[in-house]
Amino acid sequence: MNILVFTKRVPATQEEELRLINDGKDVDFSKLPFKVNDWDNYAVEEAVKIVEKGGGAVTAVSIGNTESDEVLRRAIAMGAKDGFLVEVDQALHDPFARGALIRNFIRKESIPFDVIFTGVQSEDDQFASVGGILAALLKLPYVSMVVGIDSVAKDHMVVRRELEGGLQERVRVTTPCVLSIQSGINEPRYVSIMGIRKASKVERKSFKGIEYDAGKESHIELVKWVYPPKKGGAQMLGGELPDICKKLMEILKEKGVYQ
Amino acid sequence: MSYALIVAETRRGIFEERNLDSIGICALLGKETAILLPDGQYSFNEKLVDSIIRVKADEEVFLNPLNMTAIIEKVSEARGRPDLIVFTHSSSGAESAAYAAGLFGFPVITDVSGYDKERGIFFKSYYSDKLFGEFKTTGGATAVLTVRSGSFKEFAAEKAAAPREEVVEGITASDSRTFVEYVEEEKTDIDITKADFLLSVGRGVGNKDEIPAYEELAGLLKAVISGSRPVIDKMWLPKARQVGTSGKTVKPKVYLAMGISGAFQHIAGMKDADCIIAINKDAEAPIFQYAHYGIVADMHKVRDALKGVLKG
Ligand SMILES: Cc1cc2nc3c(=O)[nH]c(=O)nc-3n(C[C@H](O)[C@H](O)[C@H](O)COP(=O)(O)OP(=O)(O)OC[C@H]3O[C@@H](n4cnc5c(N)ncnc54)[C@H](O)[C@@H]3O)c2cc1C
Ligand SMILES: Nc1ncnc2c1ncn2[C@@H]1O[C@H](COP(=O)(O)O)[C@@H](O)[C@H]1O
Repeated sequence: MNILVFTKRVPATQEEELRLINDGKDVDFSKLPFKVNDWDNYAVEEAVKIVEKGGGAVTAVSIGNTESDEVLRRAIAMGAKDGFLVEVDQALHDPFARGALIRNFIRKESIPFDVIFTGVQSEDDQFASVGGILAALLKLPYVSMVVGIDSVAKDHMVVRRELEGGLQERVRVTTPCVLSIQSGINEPRYVSIMGIRKASKVERKSFKGIEYDAGKESHIELVKWVYPPKKGGAQMLGGELPDICKKLMEILKEKGVYQ
Repeated sequence: MSYALIVAETRRGIFEERNLDSIGICALLGKETAILLPDGQYSFNEKLVDSIIRVKADEEVFLNPLNMTAIIEKVSEARGRPDLIVFTHSSSGAESAAYAAGLFGFPVITDVSGYDKERGIFFKSYYSDKLFGEFKTTGGATAVLTVRSGSFKEFAAEKAAAPREEVVEGITASDSRTFVEYVEEEKTDIDITKADFLLSVGRGVGNKDEIPAYEELAGLLKAVISGSRPVIDKMWLPKARQVGTSGKTVKPKVYLAMGISGAFQHIAGMKDADCIIAINKDAEAPIFQYAHYGIVADMHKVRDALKGVLKG
């Protein structure tokens, strides 16, 4: 089975202060570390696992600037055979534009695949949409939030998708299809620096987004970025650690959960 | 006739509360609204919408993007193309929204949590709520939205007249994707929804080896330990301990969140706790917006100091 898996390079923002620049037209990423989108890490692992078991090949694809090569090398270190970069000089904020670009790329380059995996969502934009848009544009069935692949047959797969509150649904989907892979579906393998260095020796192919009308099919516009509206906000407990602990214990006692 | 089409989310016979947010955003936009429902008896305040379109299809057929797009097509044939198609930002809502946008070539904005009527701008979260993007649709096509639960329900208002009833029939279910069965979570002896005091750890815990020390702290505090999704995904804590939309919704007296950033899927599962205390080393962490008390500190240091106090 040939699996096309999408992997995105995203800024690691969890512990960072995000600064807006140019009146909110841009976010200052200059001091931020970048990483592979968490969900895509699970998607690559799942693709590699399937191929290791049943044969075939995994091709990792990323859309971004040249630095996205980093996530392709990572995917190769995990077991992907090829890494394709579709280069765009500006981030495409509209998931539709990304879906359309991918469709054009797949068609024009006649990229073979039996199944396409995306992550459930990008950590940065959280649209959770590229997989679904792409599936529809390719006229393929789509299943999102996949937390388990129960069986892979010649013409179909049986998968489990996550609903709410711990409930799942098992569905049967014919191949070719597009699946969006949810975190926790597997345990992504550890990738060493050595592994990535070795993967650098595998040739990656680079394509120019402009050849596939990158950005042409865009239906939404990002006007600007803003800081989220402030809600009530917490009462902050400051001071040295012993003071903090003391106040914390007082609150617990007051709330009646600790005597 | 211009109208907004709301795709109701139902799950095993229940009309989900978060549909009120879909209704609310349509009211805010001043749209006439029609709500799509699958077969079955659903209990909700029907006066909140102008029309109810009942689809002769089972819930499992209805909540399948391949069928939902066929349903939307039928509705558009019958009453014209809607200006807006609104889903909840949930597993099934987000799935069908993206697929519909792709199939019909419509703009899509997901996880919408605010709307500026004057400027025609939708607000959507980025970077787990550290920033919001202001979006507008370009061109005149129908916009597809998924809305964040809790964001718009206060705008839902009763209409003067009772809703009109319409029916959609003749939907052939796709055979390329079919529902097989529901899979329930395994029952476990611990039920975090019953706990008065939850000590919840997030990705900030760093690695598995740190977990036992938090379990020990929970033991000393007589709290039950729970976690955010990444901690459960990595199997550092069992699935039954997960708080959030795809885990449990909890309402303890005290929710002590350590190393949790406050993504909406987590917040949705704990925001109704009587008292939320958040410990995070990032002063900008969104969780501080929802917490009653906040501590900017290294969670491990607070843990060790607390253990010191409790052990006397
Ligand atoms: C469909 C779907 C369903 C989901 N369902 C759920 C769900 O049910 N529950 C859930 O929780 N998530 C869920 N998520 C994931 C959610 O979007 C977030 O990714 C997740 O909640 C983040 O968890 P976190 O806050 O622990 O990690 P992060 O966002 O990585 O945050 C870690 C935090 O720890 C802080 N930190 C780091 N080190 C320290 C330290 N030493 N001391 C103090 N603080 C520190 C950081 O500043 C940061 O704020 C779901 C996502 C999707 C797409
Ligand atoms: N620029 C990109 N490069 C590669 N894959 C992407 C890109 N953008 C989105 N994807 C894929 O689509 C999934 C969903 O993204 P999104 O709709 O942006 O939340 C991600 O998990 C990726 O697998």
